[in-house]
Amino acid sequence: MSEIPGPLLAVDKLEVVYQRAITAVQGISLAVPQGRIVGILGTNGAGKTTLLRAISGFHGIDDARVTEGGIRFKGRRIENSEPHRISRAGIALVPERDKAFPNLTVAENLAVPAGPRESTAERRRREERVAQFFPRLADLRHRIAGLLSGGERQMLAIASALVCKPELLLVDELSLGLAPVAVDDLMARLVEIKRELGITVMLVEQSTAVALAVADYSYVLENGRIVLDGDSARLRDHPDIQEFYLGQASGGARRSYRDVKQYRRSRRWYG
Amino acid sequence: MQLAVNIVVLAAIYALIACGYVLVYRVSRVLNLAHGELMMLGAYLLVMTAASFSSHWLIAIAAAVGLSLLVGVLVYLFLMRKMTGEMVLAAVLTTVALGILLRGLMVLIWSAQQQYPAQRLEITNFAIALPGGARISLCAAMLVAATALVYGALFAFLRFGRWGLRMRAAGQSPLLAAQRGINLHAVYALAWGLSTLTGALAGILIALDSGLDQTMAIIGLKAFPAALVGGLDSLVGALAGSLIVATAEVLLIHYVDPLLSEVVPFLVLIAMLVVRPWGLFGTREELDRV
Amino acid sequence: MSRRPHASGYFRIGYAQDLALLQSRTERGALAALLAVLALFPFLASAFLLDLANQVLLASIGALALMLLTGYAGQVSLGHAGLMAAGAFTVGILFKELQTPFWLTLPAAALVGALLGVIFGLPSLRLRGLYLAVSTLALHFLVVYLGGEYETKRGFSTGIVIDPPTIGSFAMTSGRTWYFVLGGAAAATLLLCLNLLRAGTGRAWAAIRANETVAEALGIGVAAHKLLAFVISSALAALAGALFAYYRGFVSVEAFSLFLSIQYVAMIIIGGMGSLLGAILGATFVTLFPYGIEAALRALPGAQRYAGALFAVNYAAFGAVMILFLVLEPLGLVGIWRRVQTYFLMWPFKHRPMAGRSR
Repeated sequence: MSEIPGPLLAVDKLEVVYQRAITAVQGISLAVPQGRIVGILGTNGAGKTTLLRAISGFHGIDDARVTEGGIRFKGRRIENSEPHRISRAGIALVPERDKAFPNLTVAENLAVPAGPRESTAERRRREERVAQFFPRLADLRHRIAGLLSGGERQMLAIASALVCKPELLLVDELSLGLAPVAVDDLMARLVEIKRELGITVMLVEQSTAVALAVADYSYVLENGRIVLDGDSARLRDHPDIQEFYLGQASGGARRSYRDVKQYRRSRRWYG
Repeated sequence: MQLAVNIVVLAAIYALIACGYVLVYRVSRVLNLAHGELMMLGAYLLVMTAASFSSHWLIAIAAAVGLSLLVGVLVYLFLMRKMTGEMVLAAVLTTVALGILLRGLMVLIWSAQQQYPAQRLEITNFAIALPGGARISLCAAMLVAATALVYGALFAFLRFGRWGLRMRAAGQSPLLAAQRGINLHAVYALAWGLSTLTGALAGILIALDSGLDQTMAIIGLKAFPAALVGGLDSLVGALAGSLIVATAEVLLIHYVDPLLSEVVPFLVLIAMLVVRPWGLFGTREELDRV
Repeated sequence: MSRRPHASGYFRIGYAQDLALLQSRTERGALAALLAVLALFPFLASAFLLDLANQVLLASIGALALMLLTGYAGQVSLGHAGLMAAGAFTVGILFKELQTPFWLTLPAAALVGALLGVIFGLPSLRLRGLYLAVSTLALHFLVVYLGGEYETKRGFSTGIVIDPPTIGSFAMTSGRTWYFVLGGAAAATLLLCLNLLRAGTGRAWAAIRANETVAEALGIGVAAHKLLAFVISSALAALAGALFAYYRGFVSVEAFSLFLSIQYVAMIIIGGMGSLLGAILGATFVTLFPYGIEAALRALPGAQRYAGALFAVNYAAFGAVMILFLVLEPLGLVGIWRRVQTYFLMWPFKHRPMAGRSR
């Protein structure tokens, strides 16, 4: 794979507006270098999913638009493109909801994605390669996807995204609704996938600890803006991350309302 | 015995028309109330091609069917595509308006006179004798055969074909389908094209059997309860619904009152809406998707 | 603090003021002027124009009824023509069988409409949107079938002829008389709608239309209000049908086709959903439309040959216009009117409102 100059994905002062009234994302700029895992952290409603949707393309019914700024993938601008074109360009999304087609079997779910133009043999080979990462799916080939367990469905979602032969994989809330053991397992596989297939991963996570464990570089979102970024070591040592995202109070003493002044530290973000 | 034959023929008619409703609804969640008019358009296209290919009936029919496929695709691309982001009800009303527009245009182009394409194509619609003293006309028999063929082909296509799989996927989750590289507009256009094709086939065979006039669109509308009774997103349901509605209609006309013919399908519809609105084989959650 | 509304805002200091129908001296003046013009009209217009105006007034009653049901309460109905047919046939049957005078048949028609409204409304308790529309469609066919059955079984295969209503020795036959009668009926309907909408019922309907589950959770009796919407709307529609029967002097099942239902739906869409003004604008537009087409056909050179197929031209043009409105201007004529109004109110500012979809 040739190295392209500059990041694989560059987001520049992005602004996304829903229904012409609600600004979900404001002035976000970030870069995803090739071959890395980049984490996007933040609480509910911070704008993480909107960011992923903006990159992977808005559907007609969302009534959302990128109103300012741009998104460049391999040097080409892709904002406000149609989702299927972005998928064909090499970006695949593992969504948070609607992970699979509920009334199709696992095998059909893997056959549906429209990947790049290639021969049937190549396509078959890739499906098998993908299946190797998730041996469990091979046993479930003829099971209807709606009947899978949460973990199995997540595996299917990742596998069907990989079938599209993406260069950039966007993962939305991998850990949501899964037991910690399953999450660790999936994360390990994700790292393995990244290494063996040479793809770049953008990981959106509410679970900061999980994300920091695998990501090379992360951005923290709050209210639609980036408030902090850095590599995992720097973020883990940052006192605000420790307090607000990792749940480690400074000093270890029991918290009381007298410590309210600590919450004013959040204002530091915007300083 | 003749009653049974009548039921089979009517059920085949309804089924062939109903699968058009199901195709469009299942894939794009839109109820195409212009289906009856599109069906009629197919028959009028046969009148047109019959003038050019009057001695080659097979070519005339094939040409008309092919043109109808094109019409369906164009209807999606130029009209329905603009309504994909809107409320479903607005899209349905657009199809109603389209039906009205087509109705007017067809009369303007071809006049409201009754047409007999079978005569023009020199097809003699002779009666075939069946056991039990029943009779069936050639075109009616062709229609039954065509319905069987179409359903077989559709089942195979949806189950095994690549685009059939994409159509099923797009029907279940359009956003995910788009995110997996499926061009939704292409899928919807294909669904509309197939729907118009099957409808036109029905219209053509009916026109060959008993002539073509303005009342054909009503048959199209009567087939809609058949689709709904079976479940608007189920092909199997369309078959079952057609059989039920046809049986009810033929029996009630025969034993009670011939005037009932137009209202029986809707009586069955009301009954089904009261008992089980999503139909016999439809997916239940459809109800809450307004 | 000014009590006159103007471009920089409305300043009301009490609920009564908020609910008042006419908010300012300007509005009262405008209404008086409008009434004066409307009152003078029948004395200046030709018989043809008078007939047009009467048709528009009749259509307005039906359109307002449908607007209440679909535009405000959010219950889709494709069976409006069936309800009008019920009203017309009630008049016809009572007249032919029992020679009932009009001041009994009209309330009877409204009552029949109300009862049918309950039947039409029952599906709305379980179904929404598409499926509800389909159920109203089916019921429409049922009603029309029953009307047709009556016609054939009683030998009126070409329709029922009705005498014009008489009060003493005065028979209502002149267009001018009908103008004032229908005008009064339309005004009464409008007033009824306005009052319903500014009371609790209207607010309940708005809540149900926005989100049924939330409305239920807020303690609004969703089922009762839905049925109420159907009952009122159907009673008004039946009344409109009854008046239509008397105006035409003739009742026949062919007049109440599915196309008529669609026309009424078109009225509220073209007029603009969720607005009483829209109902009236839409009724005017759709009623006058065929005459406009006919006039256009006569005026355009070369279009003469289509004059014979006027019905088909009407169909095609109507379908095309409906499509244009649905695709390009879903907010209807009222949407256009509001845009013009906003432009002048906001001038010289060009600020476009953020909230709400203007597509």
